[in-house]
Amino acid sequence: MSELSEVLRCREILWNLVRRNLKVRYKNSILGFAWSLLNPLMQIGVWYFVFKILFQRDEPNFMALLVTGFLPWLFFSQTIMDSTVAVTQEMPLIKKAYFPRTILPLSALLSNLIHLGFAFIVLLALFGIWRVDLNIYYLWVIPSTLLVAVFAYGLAAMLAAWSVFYADVKFIVGNLLGLWFFLTPVLYPLELVLNGTIKSPDNWVEFFLQSHLPLFKKLFVIDPLTIAVEGYRSALLRGGDVPIANPNYPFWDYAIGATVIAVATAILGQIIFRRKADAFAEQG
Amino acid sequence: MSVIEVRDVWKKYRRPHVKTTSIKEAALALLRGQHGYDEFWALQDVSFEVQQGEAIGLIGPNGSGKSTMLGMLARVLKPTRGTMSVEGRVCPLLELGTGFHPDLSGRENVFLNASLLGLSRRETEKRYDAIVDFAEIGDFMGSPVKTYSTGMVTRLGFSVAVHMDPDVLLIDEVLGVGDEHFQHKSFGRLLEFKEEGRTIFVVSHNLESVGILCERAIWLDRGRIVKDEDSPEVITKYKAAVEAWERSLAEAKARDAPAS
Repeated sequence: MSELSEVLRCREILWNLVRRNLKVRYKNSILGFAWSLLNPLMQIGVWYFVFKILFQRDEPNFMALLVTGFLPWLFFSQTIMDSTVAVTQEMPLIKKAYFPRTILPLSALLSNLIHLGFAFIVLLALFGIWRVDLNIYYLWVIPSTLLVAVFAYGLAAMLAAWSVFYADVKFIVGNLLGLWFFLTPVLYPLELVLNGTIKSPDNWVEFFLQSHLPLFKKLFVIDPLTIAVEGYRSALLRGGDVPIANPNYPFWDYAIGATVIAVATAILGQIIFRRKADAFAEQG
Repeated sequence: MSVIEVRDVWKKYRRPHVKTTSIKEAALALLRGQHGYDEFWALQDVSFEVQQGEAIGLIGPNGSGKSTMLGMLARVLKPTRGTMSVEGRVCPLLELGTGFHPDLSGRENVFLNASLLGLSRRETEKRYDAIVDFAEIGDFMGSPVKTYSTGMVTRLGFSVAVHMDPDVLLIDEVLGVGDEHFQHKSFGRLLEFKEEGRTIFVVSHNLESVGILCERAIWLDRGRIVKDEDSPEVITKYKAAVEAWERSLAEAKARDAPAS
């Protein structure tokens, strides 16, 4: 709590760091902040080409599925990636003066939250052009984003601290995020996993997955990112219907579970960060 | 009233035998039984008090713990044992010019740096012209800092720091910032600070400047206080000790030379 009041007292540092991050990311680029949406749109264009045109997938509304899934995922993964250098890159500042170190992972989170905000502004402009009707359910995006933010902060804090002592963290995290991406329903609808089975397992991985399939499905759904992605889809695509229609997975139970996971991660991350923070200035 | 209180402070650093920066290296070192650390005490049992308005010089050879002491006063480092307190607004002049982002303009960097040192945006705006004036940067303030010369960067760093209106000024070897002219100017600024009754704590190898600026000096050697007295006496004794040490080195060399 004392840390929180200190961060509030030093909020100008936080704000200055966030502004700096934003300015520096698109320096020397003509389109500037438009890249906050152009980047994910181009990525989505690539997937569209691969899955829709090369592989002839016949998902209805595939483009909408990708946009709504990718925005929260990108916010999450970018925050995590930035966090691995959030402290190490600021060594000059850390050695120069005292300020609550919590500001560093927090600035990584806030910078990416603002990028997400820019992306939304551009997206809403596009909706306007396409004459998509806005409705009140779009607001469901806010709690969904908040869920990702709390979860991401916890991971960001612990990764930022560990990265100071072990350079490996960055590389491990990059690859784990690659795996996590496919374990989050961004490129495919949630139902694909919920209804999925393993028909004839022929190696130990598949046997293992099959023998614990209900458990893995539960873990898949309770992942805060799954809940957030489905929240986005419900808000933007399905007019606020309950995000998970499948009666075997009561949405609110899982949403509460995911929230507990996110909050616990944030608390754990903060504790780990605080314990390491005093030694930051002594490292390289 | 004492502004700085340092009581029985010890600072331990751990120096790994093999510097481990990756999990693989750490695992290998563990297997080879190299997981031990060299522990060494950068500061041992250091105590002193500083009264308001005092100017104190911290002198001693390299590796004697001066910068560690300053880092702890700035709250950048934490003492392993003991307590310390510093009252009022502390302005550390450590690592001048670092922390400037090369892609941001001088102006943007001034605001970032000032906020780090505890100045609000409004306070910084009020002092902005004075900061630019003092640093003598002028036209360059709108350009990215990567286009600045080294001297310009340190001058700007110094200028931001001395416009903080600090109660306690912590200075690490920055008496020689910039060219001859700027050195005079910055030294003059420090003398002004002193006249205004602010507390100054200087780490420097420039004994002459310490002698002029500080009435009291603390001599550190291998983490311990050797002397804490009026600066002329401490400086004289320190100089004598260095000379004696150099003489003994020369003698040892002369003794070894014919043998080899």
